[in-house]
Amino acid sequence: MNLKNISTSVPKKDHKGKVSGQLAYISDVKVENMVYGVLYRSPIAYGKIKSIQLPDLPEGYEAVGAEHITGPNYVKIIKEDQPIFANEWVNYIGEPILMLVGKDLDILYRLLDEVKMELEEHQAIFTLDEAIKQKSSPGVTMASYEFGESLESISAIEQGACQIIEEEYNTGYQEHVYLEPQGMLGIYKEDEIVVQGSMQCLYYIKNALITALACGDDDVRVVQSPTGGGFGGKEEFPSMMACHVAVAAKAVKKSVMLVFDRSEDMVVTTKRHPAKLKYRTALDKEGNIMSMCVEVFLDGGANVGLSSVVLQRALLNSAGVYKIPHFHAKGYVLKTNTVPNGAFRGFGAPQSFAGIESHIGHLSKRANIDPLDYKRKYLVQQGDPTITKGNFRDPILMEDMIEDLLNASNYKKKKAEFQTFNQQNQRYKKGIGTSLFLHGCGFTGSGERDHIKAKVKLYKSKDNQVSLKISNSDMGQGIFTTLSKIVAKELDLPYEEVLYPYPDTKEVPDSGPTVASRTTMIVGKLLERAAKKLKAQWLTGVEQEVTEDYVHREMIPWDEKTFTGDAYPAYSWGVNFVEVEVDTLTGNVKLEKVYANYEVGKVIDDRVMKGQIDGGLAQGLAYGYLEKMTSKEGRIQQKSITDYGPPTSMDVVTIQSKVFDNPYADGPYGAKGAGELTLIGGAPAVQAAIEDALQTSFQQIPITPEVIIESLWMKEGEEG
Amino acid sequence: MEETIIAYRFDRLEETLSQLNKANCAIVAGGTDVMVMHKSRRGVPPKITKPIIFIDHLLELKQVNQNGNDLHIGACCTYSELLRDPLIPMPLKKAIKTIAAPAIRNRGTLGGNICNASPAGDTLPLLYVYNAKLLLRSVNGDRIVPICEFIQGVRRVQREPNEILTEIILPSVLEEGAHVVFEKVGNRNADAIAKVGFAGYIRTKGAVIEDVRFAFGAVGPTMIRSNEIEKKLLGKTIPVTDMDIAKVVAAFDKIIKPIDDQRSTAIYRKTVALNLLRYFLTNSTHIQHI
Ligand SMILES: Cc1cc2nc3c(=O)[nH]c(=O)nc-3n(C[C@H](O)[C@H](O)[C@H](O)COP(=O)(O)OP(=O)(O)OC[C@H]3O[C@@H](n4cnc5c(N)ncnc54)[C@H](O)[C@@H]3O)c2cc1C
Repeated sequence: MNLKNISTSVPKKDHKGKVSGQLAYISDVKVENMVYGVLYRSPIAYGKIKSIQLPDLPEGYEAVGAEHITGPNYVKIIKEDQPIFANEWVNYIGEPILMLVGKDLDILYRLLDEVKMELEEHQAIFTLDEAIKQKSSPGVTMASYEFGESLESISAIEQGACQIIEEEYNTGYQEHVYLEPQGMLGIYKEDEIVVQGSMQCLYYIKNALITALACGDDDVRVVQSPTGGGFGGKEEFPSMMACHVAVAAKAVKKSVMLVFDRSEDMVVTTKRHPAKLKYRTALDKEGNIMSMCVEVFLDGGANVGLSSVVLQRALLNSAGVYKIPHFHAKGYVLKTNTVPNGAFRGFGAPQSFAGIESHIGHLSKRANIDPLDYKRKYLVQQGDPTITKGNFRDPILMEDMIEDLLNASNYKKKKAEFQTFNQQNQRYKKGIGTSLFLHGCGFTGSGERDHIKAKVKLYKSKDNQVSLKISNSDMGQGIFTTLSKIVAKELDLPYEEVLYPYPDTKEVPDSGPTVASRTTMIVGKLLERAAKKLKAQWLTGVEQEVTEDYVHREMIPWDEKTFTGDAYPAYSWGVNFVEVEVDTLTGNVKLEKVYANYEVGKVIDDRVMKGQIDGGLAQGLAYGYLEKMTSKEGRIQQKSITDYGPPTSMDVVTIQSKVFDNPYADGPYGAKGAGELTLIGGAPAVQAAIEDALQTSFQQIPITPEVIIESLWMKEGEEG
Repeated sequence: MEETIIAYRFDRLEETLSQLNKANCAIVAGGTDVMVMHKSRRGVPPKITKPIIFIDHLLELKQVNQNGNDLHIGACCTYSELLRDPLIPMPLKKAIKTIAAPAIRNRGTLGGNICNASPAGDTLPLLYVYNAKLLLRSVNGDRIVPICEFIQGVRRVQREPNEILTEIILPSVLEEGAHVVFEKVGNRNADAIAKVGFAGYIRTKGAVIEDVRFAFGAVGPTMIRSNEIEKKLLGKTIPVTDMDIAKVVAAFDKIIKPIDDQRSTAIYRKTVALNLLRYFLTNSTHIQHI
């Protein structure tokens, strides 16, 4: 297949294996001399381990714990606060303490039940609200940032304001529910440990292993196995499992397989940070915004992990797509004794967009202006500064995208129709809501230049077959396909003839993690350049190799201390319109129509993009009204998919979407990031639609039937 | 160490019953509850200690017959089969469509839903308002028990170890004139466990209420139905007055005692259950009147 237009869809590289069910995931793999591992976990939320008593272990069964770690006892992520095996303090229910290994899972489960432990329990912090109250106690604030206009000048503006509006907004957990639960295999060999499994970031794992095993670069090797979904859940979490299986494999000199079942996965793996967002906005007589202060609190869970970076993105998006005259923001990551929270598609931005869209929507109601009209007054334009004194330097197509959806959805007419419908129907109420959003593509600030330093390699064999040698994971999102297309097109080769094998750190350089909507834009661009280079040097019948390194385009330099400069090289944009029908007797929300326009520079494959839109938006909508996870005294309550309730095909409607072209110079064929963007607008649009239907305001997501019924019931109570 | 599992699969009901009479066995119809109940952690097969006896294939248990105005449904009819059967009343089909998803509906049976006796069994509210009778058979013969006596609590039924539920009888269900409503409230539209279930039944002669029944699911250990409350409405004319509606709602308010759990809250369950009752009383009695 030759590629005329890069956007034209091709069959996905991994299509056949997945559709036929032939592809082996990690839990399908068996290797010689393999045993299983099961984790003994903390039964309490906070306390000190006094003693551990193991049952008599039958022959071939062994216990592995902190004493077997050759390096320091922490999982290398950013800070050194996450033990591989907790051996002194435990900080959350489910924290791994030791691993039992052996041939038979049935026996291992029985032995797990027989482990006895003496603990000294301490007073735990269970909720974000408790943590906020104690935020000045030692260890509770794990990270914080502050930036924007000085509070003195804001307070001077507030003096002259007609009204000051304060709102507090809460967002809940979100669970990734990747189809394939987490799994990792540590293969024992005389001269190396090979760790293979479901993952997004091969070199994060490799670096964690080098630290944990205190070994050399050649002593460990990381290989990605087919990965059934990640959504950020397989960004940093797999590093811990990799340390577990590698330490165990080395200790028992056997290969060790660790696979979670769904309930274990739901209870102990990272989730989206629950957040509290506080807004304080000064308005003039007409209801125009004079200034705004935002405070963001993230529930980090028991250790910091990537939470500080998540907070950065939450703060960078705290003003949404709006140009607010005078703006100040501050944020905290707070420690609670609950399961650690981590990366999740959107990385802090979904919380902020849900909050700011909700707040702006509520301000528009006060001003008696249609929310969309009100939002458009403040929409940023090309050339405007960002809230960190960076610049929106590329064209912004938001106005066109909005106009297009106003027409497609028949917005004005719908509003009128819904009003009539709602007057006539006692039980069901219809509403329409909108959201405007963006996503900064790639790592924040100078991350690519200073931390990642991506390198890509193209290898050409004697028979002229070209392979991509990069460390990025296809986890279902389609980069096997899109990145191969880019290389094929540059080299004028049929797409089928370009290979992209599952990455293995022995073979591939560090082209960075598969996160942050960076892969297509950053790695894709490097591959485009590498392909150009290879083409220029092409020698038929000769083995060849080319590499390319990341080159930073200097803009307004990012300063993490002052939080100033260009936080991102480029932004992708989106507009969602959502229509719902709410059953006022049950509080159930039915999606009726969903419209979505996006601008991601240039689409590399139409169908892959549609996959991101449909999946991302379904996940984002569900975050707003459907998926509900709670923690009670440090224990996650929903342990099954049914109880958590992600949407089924019966819950989502056909998503009518369009993608606008706006090529970006530093992306391959003009492409920017698309993966996270599609999630972000779902929740705020669904909230606005529910509010429109019920003519009320909510201060939280998810807006579950329980929340709706409580609000309707309270309203009735007030009236009566 | 290999484990031996004893399993029986006879061609005929009679042989099945005689085996059941000899030894206490775990009856497996569709297996969709049994397998979940005995599930082990990952990688370990389910543990069922008793010998297993399969009944899902027994033709004697897969018939749907009309007998006068009564409907006889074989206990091992799967949901998918019932959805295709023209004799099955529409409200029951509506309830079945809310159960699980197609794969489970291809296996799960009506008899299994009853014998499993979950408070969230989705066919149960309707079967209660239909006054379903259950035909239980053993080597000693048949007996017929009303569903409300058979189901005694959460996963507790009044079945002798040697008995099989063979038929579900819905008396007079094929008679014209009754208006029946079913509503399931779950967290999503498929593969959801009910947070509240409601079934309402009303039959009028002219404007006079001859019969009225209500059942609530997932708001107590088993279905909640009250003949006493229902009686209060007999002989009244429709539309039911606001005062009578308020009385009925208040009476149920006293006996519906749901719980908080990982799926919902007690207050939500109760509010919604009463909302659905009120709506049924307001609207169903109106529609009929018009
Ligand atoms: C993914 C999933 C989703 C589900 N969703 C729903 C849902 O939405 N709503 C709902 O109500 N249920 C749901 N269920 C539960 C289940 O599918 C139903 O209860 C179903 O009707 C059980 O029927 P079965 O034939 O599979 O029962 P089985 O599992 O075979 O049996 C259930 C119990 O009844 C006994 N039994 C069965 N038949 C007889 C008989 N004829 N005589 C005597 N004893 C008998 C068995 O011994 C066992 O104790 C779900 C289950 C799963 C796995």
